[in-house]
Amino acid sequence: MQFNTGQRELTLKFVYYGPGLSGKTTNLRALYQRIQPALRGHLMTLDTADDRTLFFDTLPLIFRAGNLKVKLKMFTVPGQVMHNSTRRIVLQGADAIAFIADSQPNKRQENYKYWLNMVENLKMNGLSIESLPNVVQWNKKDLGDASTDEAIVKMKLEGRQPVYEAVAVRGEGVLETFLGLVSLTFENIDKVYHLSDKLGLDRRGFVEEVRRCLVDPPEDAGGEKGKN
Amino acid sequence: MAESILQKQLVLGELLDLPSFTNVCKTFVDLYKIGLKVFDSQGTKLVDMKVASGDFCAYMFTGPNGRRLCTETVTHIKVRPLDPPAGTKDLIAVRNCFSGLRYLMMPIVYEGDMLGRIIFGPFMPDDVGDLGHDLKMLEGEFDLAKARELVDRIRRAPESTVRRVMEHFVRIVDVLVFTSHKAMISSQLHIESVTESYREVQEKNKKLSDALERLQELSRLKSNFLATVSHELRTPLTSVIGYSEMLLAGLAGEMNDEQKDYLKTILEKGESLLRLISSILDLSRIEARGVQLHRKPTDLDEVVQSALESVLPQSFKKNLQLTADLSPSVKHVTVDSDKIRQCVVNLLSNSVKFTPAGGHIFVQSGPADNAPGGSGPFGSSGWFQISVTDNGIGIPPELLDKVFDTFFQADSSASREYGGAGLGLSIVKSYVEAHGGEISVHSEMGKGSKFTLLLPVEPPGTGLELAPLP
Repeated sequence: MQFNTGQRELTLKFVYYGPGLSGKTTNLRALYQRIQPALRGHLMTLDTADDRTLFFDTLPLIFRAGNLKVKLKMFTVPGQVMHNSTRRIVLQGADAIAFIADSQPNKRQENYKYWLNMVENLKMNGLSIESLPNVVQWNKKDLGDASTDEAIVKMKLEGRQPVYEAVAVRGEGVLETFLGLVSLTFENIDKVYHLSDKLGLDRRGFVEEVRRCLVDPPEDAGGEKGKN
Repeated sequence: MAESILQKQLVLGELLDLPSFTNVCKTFVDLYKIGLKVFDSQGTKLVDMKVASGDFCAYMFTGPNGRRLCTETVTHIKVRPLDPPAGTKDLIAVRNCFSGLRYLMMPIVYEGDMLGRIIFGPFMPDDVGDLGHDLKMLEGEFDLAKARELVDRIRRAPESTVRRVMEHFVRIVDVLVFTSHKAMISSQLHIESVTESYREVQEKNKKLSDALERLQELSRLKSNFLATVSHELRTPLTSVIGYSEMLLAGLAGEMNDEQKDYLKTILEKGESLLRLISSILDLSRIEARGVQLHRKPTDLDEVVQSALESVLPQSFKKNLQLTADLSPSVKHVTVDSDKIRQCVVNLLSNSVKFTPAGGHIFVQSGPADNAPGGSGPFGSSGWFQISVTDNGIGIPPELLDKVFDTFFQADSSASREYGGAGLGLSIVKSYVEAHGGEISVHSEMGKGSKFTLLLPVEPPGTGLELAPLP
C-alpha cells in the first residue's frame, strides 16, 4: 500500500494466488472485460507459448473516490511449481489476496499445498495472511462435485474469510470476488489512514466508486462479507 | 528482498530507446510538417523537432517584448500542469503564442501516472489571420512584413486536424511505452527470479552441507563405537576359545565324549563369533579411516596357498574338493599381502559356506584375462587376477550387484541357514578397491559362482623408475 498524501494518491496491490491452471489469469481477463475501457490500463500478460503464465499478469484500474486518486493494481502469480521465486517476488508489498482454488475434486490437495506455499512466501516477504485481507474463490465450480460443495460449506462456516464460487471462464463470480476483496481491503486501509475521518470516505462509498468503474456490476456485491 | 521492478517508478527516458524514438519522431514530423517536442515528467527534453519555425522564433527573440513573451510561452508549454479542466475529459491543452502561432499539449499517461508530455507546434491555426493580434501591437519592435514572410513558412492547419494527428501519435507512444515496459519487466523479473532462485539454492546447499557434516560426524562416531565394542567383545572371547581348547586338549583332565561334544560346540560357536567380530572391526576401521595399505613385494603363490590352508578344516568337514591352479607367470606382486590373503580367505569361506557337501571349489591365479578399460594394449601385463569358483547354490541375477553391500545376503534366510553377517564380501571389495583393483562376480542359480579379483601388479601410478626388475 502506497499513500501519497501530497497528491492524495492511493496505490493498492491485489494478488491473485492459487494452483496452476486454477483460473487466475482467466479471472483477470474477465475483470478486464468488465472494467470501463477509459479507466483500465493495459492487461499485461507475460506468458509462454502454451499460454501458461511465465511471470505474472497485471491489470491496473485507476479511479477517483472523492478527492482521492486510487490506483488498483491486480496481479496474478505463475502457478507452475517451478516458478516459486517469481511468486514470492510478485507477492512483495501485496495489500490483499484473492486465492483462486480449483473446484475439481482431484485438485483438492493442490489447493491445500498452494495455500501453504502462499503463507510461506508471504512470510518470506515479511507479510502474514492473518493480517492481510483475503478472500477465497472456488473457481471452475461447474467441474466440482458433492465433495466440493461440502468443502465450500465447511469453509464458509469456519468464516475465516469471505468465500465465493465462480466459473471465471464465463465471467461468473469474478466481479463478486473482486468487489468482496475491495470491500475487505478498505477496512484495512481505513484502519491505517483513517480515510473515513479525513476524507469522509466510508467502505460503502469506496466500493460504490469501484462498482461505477465496472460494466453491469452485480447487485450488492462486496456489500457483505462472504455472502454468496 | 530488494525492491522489485514491480514497485519501481517508471521514467519515460528509460522506457524508450531515444535514438530510435527520435528517428520515428523525425519521420512523423517530415510527414506532417509540424514541430514536435517530448518531455519526461521531470521536464527533461527527450525530443525537440522544429519545422521551419526556427527563423521566425529567432526573429521574435530579437526584441525585448518578443523575448519575454516567447519565454513565457516556452515555459508554459513545458511545465503547465496538464490535468483536464473539471468536467471535461479533453486531455489536450492549448497554448496560443503572442505571434498567433499555436501549441497543443497532451500528457503521456500510463497506468494512471504522468510519464511526460507531448507538444505539437507551433502551427498557424486556420482561425488566426496572417499574424496574431499581440504581435501586431508590437509593430515598432518588429518589421511585420518580415514577420509575415517568416511565418508563412510555418504549417497552417485547422486545429482539429492537428488534434487528430496528435491523438494518433499519443496512441503510438502508448503502445511503445507498454511494449517497452513489458519487455523491461520481463527481463528484470527474469533476473530477479534467477537471483532469488540462486539465493534459495545457496541456502539449501548450506543446509545440505551442514547435514552432511553432521552425518559424517555421526558415521565416525558409529565406526568408533563399533571398533571399541568389537575390541571389547574379542578380548573375553579369546579367553573363552583359549580355555575351551585347553579343556579339549585334556589340560584339566580327561573328559567324556559328551563333554567333549559340548566343548567343541562352544569352541566352534566362539570361533564363528570371533570371525564376525573381526569382520565388524575390519569394516569399522575401513569406514573410520579408510583402508591403510602396507604394500610390499609379495609372493602371490604363498598368499593363495596360505589362504587355502586356512579354509581346509571347514572344507574338509563338508567334504569339499579344493583345487588350485597358480600360474607361474605372475609370481611377484606388490600388494598388502595380509589384506589380499584375507580377501582370498573371505572368498573361499564364502564358497565353503554356500557350496553343498561334496561340492568343488577351484582357485586360480595368473595374468588378467581382461584388463580394465584404459590400461592400453599391454594392460593384462600390468594386472593379475585371482578367482574363486564353486559349484554352490549361486546368486539370483537381480541381486548380483548387491552382494558387495555391507550386511547384505542374497537371501535373508541364508544368514540363518549358513551363518555370517554379510560382511566378508564388503571387506573384500574395500580392500581390492584400495589397491586400485576391481572385483566381479558371475553366477548361475544352482550351478555356482565365480568371484574374480583384478589387481594391479604394481601400485597404480608407479613410474618407470620403480618398475620391478625382470
